[in-house]
Amino acid sequence: MSPLVTAALSDLAASRAPFRKVLVANRGEIAVRIFRTLREMAIPSVAVTSEADRGSLHARSANESVMIGPAAAAGSYLNAPRILEAARGVGADAIHPGYGFLSERAAFARECREAGIAFIGPSPESMERLGDKASARRTAIRLGIPVVPGVEGVATAESARAEAERIGYPVLLKAVGGGGGRGMRSASSAEELTAAFEGARRESETAFGDARLFLEKRIDPARHVEVQILADGNDAIALGERECSLQRRYQKIIEESPSTAVNAKTREAMERAAVALARDAKYSGAGTVEFLLGPDGSFYFLEVNARLQVEHPVTEARLGLDLVRAQIEIAAGGGLPRVPRPAGHAIEARLNAENPYSGFLPQTGKVLLLEWPAGDGVRIDAGIGQGGTVHVHYDSLLAKVIAHGRDREEARARLVAALKRVTLLGVTTNQSFLIDLLEDGAFRSGETYTGTIESREWPAPESIPDEAILAAAVALASRRAAREGEREDADRYSPWHALGGWGRSPAGARA
Amino acid sequence: MSRLALRWEGRAVEAEIELRGSHAVLTRGVRRIEAEVRRVDDWVEIRSGDRIARCGAVATPRGVWVALEGRAYLLERVPRDAAAQDGAPTTDEIRAPMTGRVVAVAARAGEAVREGDLLLTIEAMKMEFRLTAPEDGAIAEVLCAQGDRVELGQLLVKLRPGASTGGAPAGGPSA
Repeated sequence: MSPLVTAALSDLAASRAPFRKVLVANRGEIAVRIFRTLREMAIPSVAVTSEADRGSLHARSANESVMIGPAAAAGSYLNAPRILEAARGVGADAIHPGYGFLSERAAFARECREAGIAFIGPSPESMERLGDKASARRTAIRLGIPVVPGVEGVATAESARAEAERIGYPVLLKAVGGGGGRGMRSASSAEELTAAFEGARRESETAFGDARLFLEKRIDPARHVEVQILADGNDAIALGERECSLQRRYQKIIEESPSTAVNAKTREAMERAAVALARDAKYSGAGTVEFLLGPDGSFYFLEVNARLQVEHPVTEARLGLDLVRAQIEIAAGGGLPRVPRPAGHAIEARLNAENPYSGFLPQTGKVLLLEWPAGDGVRIDAGIGQGGTVHVHYDSLLAKVIAHGRDREEARARLVAALKRVTLLGVTTNQSFLIDLLEDGAFRSGETYTGTIESREWPAPESIPDEAILAAAVALASRRAAREGEREDADRYSPWHALGGWGRSPAGARA
Repeated sequence: MSRLALRWEGRAVEAEIELRGSHAVLTRGVRRIEAEVRRVDDWVEIRSGDRIARCGAVATPRGVWVALEGRAYLLERVPRDAAAQDGAPTTDEIRAPMTGRVVAVAARAGEAVREGDLLLTIEAMKMEFRLTAPEDGAIAEVLCAQGDRVELGQLLVKLRPGASTGGAPAGGPSA
C-alpha cells in the first residue's frame, strides 16, 4: 500500500479532519488537483464556478459547487466578496486559493481571516513582505542574498531609459504586482525599451490592476531555477530545486528536478537563501523562491511566489510527498511534515491550448475526443474532460503531464511516450511541440536556457501521414453515411468528389 | 473509388480512397497503400504490413480531426468553388486570430505600411498579441476600434498590397 493511501486511512481512523469543509477559489487543473487531496483526506469540498464553467471538470470534482459570477474572471474568480459569501453560505471553514486569481492578494487573505475562514496560504503580512517583488528584493538585499542589478518603480519611459543607461543593456521590464511573465518585456536598446514600455504597463494594469514596473539587468544566457519551501510561521524547510528554463514569453513550458546545472554546493546555498527569506517573513505554507542562474554558476534572487506553484508535481514526484496536504495541515496548525529523501528525476510538460505553428496563438473550442495515457511513473493533472470547452476568458493550460524515472533519461523517455499517447481533439494544442522539445538535442544534453525556445525555429511537420488520411476518410465516410439525405447545402462542403460507388454524392451532386 | 479533397495547414490534401468492408486502398500521387481498417466509435485502427496505428478521428462540420502518435491534425473541408478564390487576392484581409478584445489600433485608413508594421493589438487570455502587416502596402479599411470585442476570424483590417514607397527599414519585432 502506498504511503499516501496509508496516511489517508489513518486519517479516517482518527476521524479528525483539519477542516470541516474547504472551498477552492480556483478553476481548471489546479482546482481538480486540490479536490483530489481533499477527497483523500476525507474533507468535504466546494467548487466555485463562473457561468462559463458550469458543469466543468473542476465543478464535477467537488462535493458541491456554487456559481459565483459571469465568465469574465473579474466578476467571478477574482470576485473576493462573492467568494467569501459562497464560503459562508456552504459553511466552509477554509479557502484554498490555488495559484493565480486571488492566491497572492494579501487583502483577500486578510478578509478571510476577518471572516473567520482559514486561508490556506501565508499570512497577509508575510505575503505583503514577500509577494511584492520590490519589497522581497529589499529583504533579500538585507539578508545578504544576491539580486540582479536593477531598480524598482520606473514610472515613465524616460526614467526607464535613464536607469537602463546606468545598469547597461539588455534590460527587462517586469510588473511589480505580478508574475507568470505578464507585463514582462525585454529590451536591448533605448528604442526597444521605449517601444516596450507602454505595452508592459498596460499588460500589468490589465492582469494585476497595478501598472508599476520594475527594471533590471538581463542575465544571458540564464537558467531559471527555483526552490520549493514549506514553512509553518516559525520554521522553514527547503525541498530542493526545480529548473524551469524552458519558457516562451516568460511562460514556463517544461519543468524538471533536479536541475542539470545545479551542483550540491549551489543547491545548498540556494536552499539556505530560500529558508532565510521564509524565516525572516515568518512565512507559513508552501512557497517558491525563484532564482536566475548565470552562465558562471552564480545565482540571483528573483522573487517569491507566495503560493502553490503550477509545477509543484515535479517536487511531489521526487519526494512522494503531497504538497497540498502539507499546505492544509500547516494551515490547520499541524506543523511541517517529515520530508523524505528525493529520489530519481521528474519532468513536467504543460499541455496548452495554443497553436505552436501559428505564433502560439491561444485556441478555443470544445474537446471532442480525449484520452489520457496511464503508465509507470506517469501522472496527469488535467483541468478539462471530454466535451469540456476551452474559453477565451482563462489561461490556456489544459493539463500537466508529469513523468518520474530513476534518472533523467528514463523520466524523459516516459514523458515523451506518455505525450505520444495523449489524444485530444477539437482544440489545437502544443502537444507535438512538447514532444519535439523533449526529443531535441538541447534538452537531451541539459542545455536548457530561458532563451532556448525563442532563439530557434520549431517547424511544423511537413506532411501528413497516410494513416491520418485513411483515418480521416473512415471518419468522414461514417459521418456521411449517417447524414445521407440531409440538406443539399452541406454538400457544398463535402470533401468527397464522388467518382461512384461508396463515395457517391446524394442526388443533385454538382461534381 | 472516391477522391478526397481537404486542406491541412492551408495546404491541399488530395487522395483517392477505395473502401471495401474493412479493406482500404489509399492512393496519394504515386503512392499506393493497402490497409485493414476498423472503426470503433471515435477510433480507427489501421493495419498496414506489420504496422498498427490507432487514430482518434472525429468529423465535424468544419472538417475532421485526427490524432496520430502525439500529433493532432485538423483536415478542413474546402468549399467546391474555393478553387476560384485561390488566386491572388486584390486585398489582404487581416482577420482576428482568436476571440478577444482590441486594445490598440495603430493602422489608419489610407496610410502606407511596410511588412511587419504593427496594425493592431488584441488581448486574449490575458496576453497581448500584435497583428502586423503581412507585406508592404496601404491600409484600405480599418473595421475595428479600440475596445471592440472581436470574434475568431472577424475581418479587422483590409490591406492593399504593394502600394508602399520609401526605403525605411521594416517595422519592429512582432510578439
